[in-house]
Amino acid sequence: MGKKGLTRRQFTGTAAAAAGAVAASSFGAPHIARGAEKVVKVGFLGPLTGEVAGWFLPGLNGAEIWAEHVNAGGGIKIGDDNYMVEIVSYDNEYLADKSLIGAKKLVLEDGVKMVQMLGGTDAPAAVQFFTKQNMLSSTLLPSDLTPDTLYHLAPAEVHPIYNVTGVEWLAENRPELKTAAICAQDDELGWPSVATYLAAFEAAGIDVIYNKYFDPATTDFAPVVTAMLADNPDIVCLDTAYPDYVNLISEQLFLQNFDGQIISCTFDFYQNIIEKTSVEFVEGLIFQFPDFDDPAMREAHINFENPDGFFSEYNERFPDSWSAVSWEYSAIAEMWRLAAEKAGSIEPMDVLAALKEGGRGPHVFGDAAWWGSELWGIDNALVGNWPVVQIQNGKATIVEYRNIIDWWSRHGDLLKKHTEEQGG
Amino acid sequence: METVIQTLVNALMQSSFVALMAVGLVLIFGVMRVINFAHGEFYMAGAYVVFWLYAQNDLPFFAAVVAAVIVVGVIGLILEQILFKPMRENPLGGLIMSIGVLFILQVLAAVIFGVGLMKHIPPLYPGATPVFGLDGVAVPWQRLVAFGIAVLLLIAFWLFLKRTRLGWALRACAQDREAAALQGMSINKLALLAMGLGAGMAGAAGAIMAPLVRVYPYIGGPVIVTAFIVIVVGGIGSLEGAVLAAVLYTFFHTFVATYLDGSIASILGLLMMLLVLIVRPAGLLGKGEKV
Repeated sequence: MGKKGLTRRQFTGTAAAAAGAVAASSFGAPHIARGAEKVVKVGFLGPLTGEVAGWFLPGLNGAEIWAEHVNAGGGIKIGDDNYMVEIVSYDNEYLADKSLIGAKKLVLEDGVKMVQMLGGTDAPAAVQFFTKQNMLSSTLLPSDLTPDTLYHLAPAEVHPIYNVTGVEWLAENRPELKTAAICAQDDELGWPSVATYLAAFEAAGIDVIYNKYFDPATTDFAPVVTAMLADNPDIVCLDTAYPDYVNLISEQLFLQNFDGQIISCTFDFYQNIIEKTSVEFVEGLIFQFPDFDDPAMREAHINFENPDGFFSEYNERFPDSWSAVSWEYSAIAEMWRLAAEKAGSIEPMDVLAALKEGGRGPHVFGDAAWWGSELWGIDNALVGNWPVVQIQNGKATIVEYRNIIDWWSRHGDLLKKHTEEQGG
Repeated sequence: METVIQTLVNALMQSSFVALMAVGLVLIFGVMRVINFAHGEFYMAGAYVVFWLYAQNDLPFFAAVVAAVIVVGVIGLILEQILFKPMRENPLGGLIMSIGVLFILQVLAAVIFGVGLMKHIPPLYPGATPVFGLDGVAVPWQRLVAFGIAVLLLIAFWLFLKRTRLGWALRACAQDREAAALQGMSINKLALLAMGLGAGMAGAAGAIMAPLVRVYPYIGGPVIVTAFIVIVVGGIGSLEGAVLAAVLYTFFHTFVATYLDGSIASILGLLMMLLVLIVRPAGLLGKGEKV
């Protein structure tokens, strides 16, 4: 070895100490409304990059469609004024510290009147800030809710409780399935969902024979799947694994010849998964998020205007990006718009009062109740029906709507027990 | 038993690309004395080339892999010529340069390809074949292809080093740069060759793995950590050690991940490296240094 330059010993020391080097970047750009004298800004604070982006970026796409439609229709009518909508987004990379920075920017610099979030890891500090600022905010994860989160609502998605509907449907329609294996990433999205699936499987009389979290930094899912399949489960449950993980785990299940039943909270970008596997492999897979061109989305109880049109416009403008959340943020924004017009004000506390008036509200899948004090200590989640979706001939198909509160009234104690056991 | 065999198959497939990464890293350090933190980004660049050419523009997969090796190799050559060569006598400068390159390549990938949703790269050969006629044990065709390419490249590289004059020169330079220079070898030309080959191999690893993993700008992070552990365990500067350590580490990590937990596997992998450093500071096949 030469005497000049770096020696092997120096290299060894440096390389051994350097077992973690990662970078990050952020992007955030305001989306300007068309020219108007009065503008109301709606904030979007969530992961636009990284492995969780699949649950925020498609939602922001949907919200842009909503904003354009509202503005094209003359804006939001508050008394004699018309307000054009401007969407302001901030990429928090699903990091709590960046989320707080984004929260302050949206409220103090941009002057938004409402903030939509995915919720979970990035929520606590930001929501605390929103509460202090009397700012209305929304989440898809009601596990964010506490008795102190007075202005934080879950008006569209009540993750993960609706997962019980899929398990219950499966138990009733395929009673021969007796054992299940669950895997999930080890984080705030995985834990409550595992608790929910454990409760749902126990209520359905299905034994969970494997239940393990995997490191969110996992890049090779072959060992995860090999371990899951070791005891030949009838059902493999992908819990609320991130979209990228569901893709890679599904591929591994296919490659390791799993021919049982799969159940998952989401099955985003499923056409890509089918291309990696086969139509036969995913046939019968159960999850919880419909395509909006589903005939069952035209039923009378649905509170979403022209779901077919929204679905086709979305896919035309943002091809290959329809996911579980594509409709959710726009649905929340539309509820907020209607409440603002009803209140005659865009001020957050006025809109909140209009939203919760009467204790019920128009949830996308049917009228629902503001509920949650039994579980989170506050009635800030709009809970009612949720669809059970099955892959049939390569297409997501709603097989039934089931009521979440009905399940809770029968098995709520199980969910409480498993939530406590999983650290909830 | 089927689980054990499946785990052996998983580990064997994984070890090939880890070895390819580690050998390239060892070569670059041996000749250039640069701790190349950007080696993981060469892997990432190879994966993106396959994404762009194969998944987006329908170029045949194998042509895309060859293109990835060439493109990433050329990136390596350019970086060596512009950035690393001026830092030849300043190893700390080279290290800092490599960290800078890491960020630049990540940001470039983010700007060019975006960082939102997962890149869809369909496998060339979907499906799997049973192993030993066991239904519960399967090896995916795409992994078999990746394994075959990686092994072929490693053999070709080994033959190049052992049977060609350029290979001898590279080995001589890696063993003692000053002595090699005194024999009339051009260190700059050999460094250029080492960087091109090392980067190309990392690019090849990324290219063959692209349909099997999640391709994103920061994919190089976990890969470079594994490669560093492997070359420390194998012995810095030892190509044979890198291959041996790649196999040992990957088998160890895969078995622990399957039977215990992925996080525990990563922690135990680092502990394994520390243990090797304590018991055999030069690594498994590394040569001790005279002080």
